[in-house]
Amino acid sequence: MGSILQVYWTLLLRSLGQTLLLTLLSLFFAFFIGLLFGLLNVSKNKALNIIGTVYVDGIRGVPLIVLAYFIYFGVPALVQAAGNSSFKLSALVAGTISLSMNAGAYMAEIFRAGIQSVDKGQMEAARSLGLPYGKAMRRVVLPQAIRTMIPAIISQFIISLKDTSILSVIGFPELTKAGNIIVGNTFAALQVWGIIALMYMVVIVTLSRLAKKLERKMNVGNTL
Amino acid sequence: MSEIHSEEIISSNSLNNKNAVPAPQEGLLGGVHKKDGRLMIHTVHLKKSFGSLEVLKDINMDVMEGEVVVIIGPSGSGKSTFLRCLNRLESITSGEVTVDGQNVSDTHININKVRENIGMVFQHFNLFPHMSVIDNIMLAPVELKKMTKDEARAKGMTLLKRVGLDTKADVFPPQLSGGQKQRVAIARALAMNPDIMLFDEPTSALDPEMVGEVLEVMKELARDGMTMCVVTHEIGFAREVASRVVFMDAGYIVEEGAPEEVFGHPKQQRTKDFLDKVL
Repeated sequence: MGSILQVYWTLLLRSLGQTLLLTLLSLFFAFFIGLLFGLLNVSKNKALNIIGTVYVDGIRGVPLIVLAYFIYFGVPALVQAAGNSSFKLSALVAGTISLSMNAGAYMAEIFRAGIQSVDKGQMEAARSLGLPYGKAMRRVVLPQAIRTMIPAIISQFIISLKDTSILSVIGFPELTKAGNIIVGNTFAALQVWGIIALMYMVVIVTLSRLAKKLERKMNVGNTL
Repeated sequence: MSEIHSEEIISSNSLNNKNAVPAPQEGLLGGVHKKDGRLMIHTVHLKKSFGSLEVLKDINMDVMEGEVVVIIGPSGSGKSTFLRCLNRLESITSGEVTVDGQNVSDTHININKVRENIGMVFQHFNLFPHMSVIDNIMLAPVELKKMTKDEARAKGMTLLKRVGLDTKADVFPPQLSGGQKQRVAIARALAMNPDIMLFDEPTSALDPEMVGEVLEVMKELARDGMTMCVVTHEIGFAREVASRVVFMDAGYIVEEGAPEEVFGHPKQQRTKDFLDKVL
């Protein structure tokens, strides 16, 4: 185990960095995708509800690995067929799109639940003062909703971080991909996967500890 | 700026130092509201249904400028729904509602503009818990570009002083008592300089010992000539302050008139039955 670490520590750390990069990028985009479709789903407009529902159900109904294949192989094939024969998506771009879309659908549900958890008197009071719907949402409802959403957002962060391992299938050089390469070279499956598992675990446990602290801080502000 | 400044000077009749200032005529708004007989609220054949349930059946009501109309009636009679139709927090099923010359029942009008002119106070206060008291009050005037931040703050502080809560400006709502919350809510509604104030059971969620402080603020507002529609169970308040009492039951206005008329000599049996229970 010591020798594996000695030889491969740079690869392992670099891959962990890629895993975190992909997670952060995807969560960033997922936040806005979730906000958009969450807002569509709480709207009173039936047509907007349908758009929101189709997205959420559509994405949640497809396994991430299939979505990743579709984006990485399917979409370029489509563009190439349409005439742009040199079109390709990098694994990072395809991976970020796939994971953002996937996490975005779950985030949309988190946003919907968060917004609905805010007492509807808040929206009414804001509207009664003459604030338009969008302003009332942005200044009054969303700040309160996001507070209640923090635990769910963090758990989505952890899920997405683990889901990056699925994107090894499109050749994205993240931690699980690195594990595959190292096992291929050393045949030391037990040690390598043990190390990889430990690395995921350390990152995730650290993150969830931080999250708990943050959550407690926010709650203190809320109850006072 | 100058308007705010002059208001501060004329009207420092805050609830706290009533005796300190020898200008008893000036109230919450510095006496700017005159009673000139303008028609402020006009509803014709107003109907409101929730699905198949018809809550308002045929409401015809006029409120003149400076009137204080107190609406009483059993729960489920449509009082709150009526109030909420006036600023279209509830959509209007049919009929016409005109508020200060604006046709609220017309779905093409800019309802936000109309609402700027109609303050509303809710049973459960609905203060924004993530903002300090002063930010609650400043939000709408600043967001809607009615005032600069400094103007809104000055206006907010003046209003807070008048409801006796200027020391609570930087406190967050969860730290206030119910009565304090409701007084802040009134100040928040007044910050937009509305011509009409709607009160939807403003004291129903309060502990009994806090009812008085809120009613006191409302009385002062009424004395100052604010046009007010108040849904309440406070018969004492109605007797003392109302220019007219409206009794609603089952979606209709059953009886209306001066408080001494309605409370002293109710004409309808349903009014008598209701008053027997609450008086």
